[in-house]
Amino acid sequence: MSQEQIDRAIAKDYAAGFTTDIESDTLPPGLTEDTIRFISAKKNEPEWLLEWRLGAFQVWREMVGPDWAHVDYPEVDFQSISYYSQPKSMEDRPKSLDEVDPELLATYEKLGIPLHEQEALAGVAVDVVFDSVSVATTFREKLAEAGVLFCSISEAVQQYPDLVRKHLGSVVPRKDNFYAALNSAVFSDGSFVYIPKGVRCPMELSTYFRINEANTGQFERTLIIADEGSHVSYLEGCTAPMRDENQLHAAVVELVALDDAEIKYSTVQNWYPGDAEGKGGIYNFVTKRGLAHTNAKISWTQVETGSAVTWKYPSCILRGDNSVGEFYSVALTNNLQQADTGTKMIHLGKNTRSTIISKGISAGKSSNAYRGLVRVGPTAKGARNYTQCDSLLIGDQCAAHTFPYIESKNPTGIIEHEATTSKVSDDQLYLCQQRGLDPEKAVSMIVNGFCKEVFKELPMEFAVEAGKLLEVSLEGSVG
Amino acid sequence: MADLLTPQLNAETPAPDWLQARRLAGRAAWESSELPTRKTEAWKYTSLFALQQPFMAARESAESAEELGLELPQLAGSRLVFVNGFWREDLSEIEPDAAIELVRFSEADQSQAALIAQHLGSVVPGNKHPFSALNDAVLADGVFLRILKGSKAARPVQLVWHNSPQVDAAINSQRLLVLAEQHSEATVVEHFSGQGHSFTNGLTELILAAGATLSHSRLHLESAEALHVGGLHAALERDATLNSFHVAFGGKLKRIDIVINHLGQGAHCQLDGMYLLRGQEHVDYHTCIEHAVPHCTTDETFRGIVGDKASAVFNGRIHIHPDAQKTRAELSNKNLLTSATAEVNTKPELEIYADDVQCAHGATVAQLDESMLHYLRTRGIPADEALVLLSYGFINALVEKQRLESLRDYLKPRLADYFGAALAVDSDDAGG
Amino acid sequence: MLSIKDLHAEVEGKNILKGLNLEIREGEVHAIMGPNGSGKSTLGHVLSGRPGYEITQGSVEFLGKDLLELDTEERAHLGLFLAFQYPVEIPGVSNMEFLKASVDAVRESQGASAYDTVGFMRRAREACTAVDLDQAFLKRGVNEGFSGGEKKRNELMQMMLLEPRLCILDETDSGLDIDALQVVASGVNAMRSESRSFLLVTHYQRLLDYIEPDFVHVLADGRIIRSGDKSLALELEAKGYSWLDDGEVA
Repeated sequence: MSQEQIDRAIAKDYAAGFTTDIESDTLPPGLTEDTIRFISAKKNEPEWLLEWRLGAFQVWREMVGPDWAHVDYPEVDFQSISYYSQPKSMEDRPKSLDEVDPELLATYEKLGIPLHEQEALAGVAVDVVFDSVSVATTFREKLAEAGVLFCSISEAVQQYPDLVRKHLGSVVPRKDNFYAALNSAVFSDGSFVYIPKGVRCPMELSTYFRINEANTGQFERTLIIADEGSHVSYLEGCTAPMRDENQLHAAVVELVALDDAEIKYSTVQNWYPGDAEGKGGIYNFVTKRGLAHTNAKISWTQVETGSAVTWKYPSCILRGDNSVGEFYSVALTNNLQQADTGTKMIHLGKNTRSTIISKGISAGKSSNAYRGLVRVGPTAKGARNYTQCDSLLIGDQCAAHTFPYIESKNPTGIIEHEATTSKVSDDQLYLCQQRGLDPEKAVSMIVNGFCKEVFKELPMEFAVEAGKLLEVSLEGSVG
Repeated sequence: MADLLTPQLNAETPAPDWLQARRLAGRAAWESSELPTRKTEAWKYTSLFALQQPFMAARESAESAEELGLELPQLAGSRLVFVNGFWREDLSEIEPDAAIELVRFSEADQSQAALIAQHLGSVVPGNKHPFSALNDAVLADGVFLRILKGSKAARPVQLVWHNSPQVDAAINSQRLLVLAEQHSEATVVEHFSGQGHSFTNGLTELILAAGATLSHSRLHLESAEALHVGGLHAALERDATLNSFHVAFGGKLKRIDIVINHLGQGAHCQLDGMYLLRGQEHVDYHTCIEHAVPHCTTDETFRGIVGDKASAVFNGRIHIHPDAQKTRAELSNKNLLTSATAEVNTKPELEIYADDVQCAHGATVAQLDESMLHYLRTRGIPADEALVLLSYGFINALVEKQRLESLRDYLKPRLADYFGAALAVDSDDAGG
Repeated sequence: MLSIKDLHAEVEGKNILKGLNLEIREGEVHAIMGPNGSGKSTLGHVLSGRPGYEITQGSVEFLGKDLLELDTEERAHLGLFLAFQYPVEIPGVSNMEFLKASVDAVRESQGASAYDTVGFMRRAREACTAVDLDQAFLKRGVNEGFSGGEKKRNELMQMMLLEPRLCILDETDSGLDIDALQVVASGVNAMRSESRSFLLVTHYQRLLDYIEPDFVHVLADGRIIRSGDKSLALELEAKGYSWLDDGEVA
């Protein structure tokens, strides 16, 4: 098959790249203490939270951005970013979906996320975040019946201040890293979930993030608390319009799984990746971490196809005995995208177990790195880790890297890491073509097969979506 | 950096002009570079704190082999012995071999000096390796081995680098340059031994011309107090084959950088290594295989057993450059951690810029296999003895891969001794 | 020699043996046959003391001792030998080193003096010849890269050198061609004696064409459901294991 055929097979457009024409209140670019006071005041936050933010800002000013990742991008000018933007119609928070600006609802409709409950995906409750604010959360009443709290973090600060205060920053401290500190200072909105003791959340919870306004950054903060013996499955999706400038997305997600609880967190990340020449796209610099108590389980599944630059390591701190951490990842880069993503599994408790399955697909002139840390501490008697990292290269201009860090201080632990590299071979394509498949279909079939182990971890509705997303993202890559 | 160096830097040891010039250049480069800290990625797990003390230039020693505690390996073939970086004629043995030229830098003739000048430092990127500059600065004398085009060395060449305990902490450099010309073949074994807490900087450079085959071993058998920061840099031209074998026992701080450059198509490298650590020893192997051209292959295996309060670091990088298509490179690093206060940090790395390649790596930190242990016990071997036998086997599997029989015979009893294994039978006699 | 009473055992929480009884006297050859999953291999592992096999009920007496109280190697010292169905590979430890360590340990426990190196190597070479293995196998890592048949013959060679009292052969015949099977059988037959007993665990009757058993037992669902002489094996062969299901077991 010729390069041309392959190129054609993987060149499609970014479907979520439209702009919503809506009037917004946007803070002028720049970041000072006043910016933070403005955001805090806008959200009518209690004094402690303002102090917390200001503390983070102090820390952040002393820090420098990380330079160790295998990504290369011009320095971000933090003074040229607007740190707050909300649709004007959101000035008075709508009480129900009926009051939400139809233009906003249409935006989500267009993205395939109908918000009217009667039309919504059965069994999925959605919180939608548009630029800096949460627009709506569906199925709240139904969830409330089970005692599940699901709302924007801004609302949670008002309504459940004790829970928020107790857990905010408990898993990702403010000074954890440069972007976590920045997020702690300026975070605008995000989702909050609390599952009470022993409750199995009756439906999938989902948050949909959308950056719309130009020159804004999105700094969302998500906090999920699964109380003892509870169970929740949560999914986030993200998109942004096509713009020529790079936009910054620096989120923090904290998961707390108390004894015997289970949190399954899935991400389908489809931020605008920039165009084929590498112009524009989102810088996706995200800190995600879960803390697992005794017998708890935290499972991260991610399908990363978007963003110009991804820097993201969803991690598990396995503090409790017998706790389990999982990380299933598909990261696909095409054109000039760069990804440095992976996980950290920190084994502290006895008999803790972790599994890492990472599938990296590089196409075009992109660069895709897995970076992972497995640390078995002196207290983690009988800890067990298994890691499998596979890279698939499509075309001879791309790059695939594997950087696993293994640190063991316990003679009873077993850590196993394996990595392989393969390509979509001419022979495979030839066979598929000989059996009547066009090259595009053949590549997508091979890639889907390569990712199967990860897709099966996604909630059913999203597994299908993820497969399609890969197909679209691969367009233009076959060569 | 200046702390580390004495004013002398061996600059006063007589040497040809070219060597003296190299010392001074090395000294300038070292003094202008900065000692890496643990914030430097390549030194994340290894502290150079033990080097933060003044070292004197090592002194010549005239002690006998017994007084030095020097056990001369009998691998057959020529043997050059250096003590504290200085040649000891009385302990050395040179067997004439028309296939090779084996000289010290200080005695090289004009054409040899020209070859040395051409190749010495040619595969060591000085800016990345400040300790290579230090090696130049401190060098008393070095060894040049040339294997002539189309020739095969009849017997192995042995180099023994030994340190005697000195009054003050001493620093010395050891340097070997091997030039294997086209289609030549040879076997070289380097021994590093000695007592005391000398700081040694051993640097080996191997240049393999087209079709050359070289077996090279670097045995670090120094004392538990030893400090060693050194390296091996190799360049492989078309169809060259390098078998490189590394053994490290002990050492307060041992850091060995191994960089193999595949520069010609069809080059092959088999790289094996083992580290055995006890007490508070620290060994750090950093390996890097540069696949710069297509059709080259690499098989790399490192194994370690780490006990007591020791810590081991392994970093194995395989770098496939753009266009290095049809590369096959595999790396395996297995570790046994045998104590709750020991530590293993391992990082196999793949950096790939070409698509039609077969690359894989694996790393484990674990215990001995349960089913093997059970099997031995069903045959009446007590559990503790079975553990010893399996630990020995875990490491010995790498020794068995080495082609030089006398080297295997030399190492196996040492390994058995190290593990306390009662291996009454030498299996090599069994076929009888 | 061996007396198993009401033996119950489980693996990973699953009951495999459910009340097995078996008596083996000196010099006898017993064969245990049974369908896949009946617990045949479990019996051998339980008797050898493999980790993960938990005895939940019952007793096993071997040469007057409570076998279940002993460590795996102590059972070997007493003279219990298990020829594995799937012997593990141990790279780095040569067959010779392994054999010497094993024979020395067993002899030492029995108060016998260790063989001198030369004498031992002679015996090892003889054993190699007896099982038709090239002597080069003595130099190679234990079972490393051996074919299935070579592994089985290596097991048999160890059995000859260790001179055990009770030999348990766990499906030693499976995967062997006829020539290899004959080698194994003649090795076993040569070792038969008044004081040595055998327990042959097998799926197929054909092994018993070469090694004639004194007793044949049928194991199903963790218990011996039928015992008889060698004719039972022929009957099984003719009618298949389902014949038993249709009979008293069903």
